[in-house]
Amino acid sequence: MRAEGRPITEEELHAYVDGFLDTERRAAVDHYLRRSPEIAQRASSYSAQRDDIRDALAHRGVEPIPASLDLHRLIEARLARRPRWWRIAATVLLAFALGGGGGWYFGSSTPTGLDTLVQDAAASYVVYTADERRPVELWAAERADLSRWLSNRLKRPVSPPDLSGLGYELLGGRLVATGPGPAALFMYENGRGTRLTLFVRPMPVGRTTPIEDVDTGDLDGCAWIDKGLGYAVIAAEPYSRLEALSERVRQQAHSLD
Amino acid sequence: MLSRIEACVPPLRRYASALLPRQQDADALVQATLLRALDQLHAQRGDAEVRAWLFGIMHSLSVTRVWRARRSTAGPLEKGAVSPSGEPEESQPWPEILADLNCLPERERAVVLLVSIEDLTYAEVSRALGIPVGTVMSLLASGRERLRQMTRTEARPCLRSVK
Repeated sequence: MRAEGRPITEEELHAYVDGFLDTERRAAVDHYLRRSPEIAQRASSYSAQRDDIRDALAHRGVEPIPASLDLHRLIEARLARRPRWWRIAATVLLAFALGGGGGWYFGSSTPTGLDTLVQDAAASYVVYTADERRPVELWAAERADLSRWLSNRLKRPVSPPDLSGLGYELLGGRLVATGPGPAALFMYENGRGTRLTLFVRPMPVGRTTPIEDVDTGDLDGCAWIDKGLGYAVIAAEPYSRLEALSERVRQQAHSLD
Repeated sequence: MLSRIEACVPPLRRYASALLPRQQDADALVQATLLRALDQLHAQRGDAEVRAWLFGIMHSLSVTRVWRARRSTAGPLEKGAVSPSGEPEESQPWPEILADLNCLPERERAVVLLVSIEDLTYAEVSRALGIPVGTVMSLLASGRERLRQMTRTEARPCLRSVK
């Protein structure tokens, strides 16, 4: 390949297609292509490929970004499962990284206590779901007793939501002792013997947070706060499923009010 | 820094959609990329590098076993449709050109995509994929040529896919 002066390289042909050439070289390639129909055809075929690829994906650039990809939410979820000292350090670090525009971040990252809730929920999941014969203290048959007992101890009305629409039947529940106070654990099982736990504990701050994905090493779950009650759902299920289950729990808690 | 990352979310979604036919898988890959990025945030780098860095993370995740598996098992099978490599087509709404791209060797596909969709410079692609610029150029040339041969041998009426 040769135009006046420097020969045209294969690299330049691609840089031409990608619009990376300066005016002078661009003109040289233009000139060259006018006289070399075969190469010109190849170049236009590369350009068409490029356009096709861009067209095929263009819609993804304008669609609204789903909540699962919201950076602020991801940061919160990520921080929620670290020890408190780490979270505070990271908050400070990020605030610096953000510079002046960082106000939103401090506001939304006030410790919610969700991290300790998730840790306690995970510990209960490990200990109690592994128990074949007595995973719960009161079985589903005594549902009314179970709700009354746990509501009394938590000093908040709690009752096991119905998750049968999503394949999980209530096994029963129990009271769990934790550092901040008593917590309720409801356990469910699906047709394949997979167990799910719903852990509920009153939270020191009466705020409400969105459902977020959490993991505690081996376990995946979702956690959130609703009107001062913290919730954690843990099961060996993909996040999409855990989110659907959590959503169902949240709806039913609302219908209790 | 965070706003730079945020600005890259739509481009990352585009790239992920070119790698994985199912939107939920593509977005899951974006999420995994962002989480990995947040973990590496302490390793400060200049703003100009953010884009290459994020695409690099996504590329290295996408070639791991987990994400490869999603690609091969994804999507409902289109009746009778067979891609040039003889593999069943992934899913109906996936444009022809992306299916063709999926038949390229991994690094060629990555280079062609990054250059085509996001206007990454050859130097940025080189940083993202951790390969020399010369290799980027030869992968780009061979990838584009392979794609061109694919579309030719299939004797398509025109190069533009019908949307």
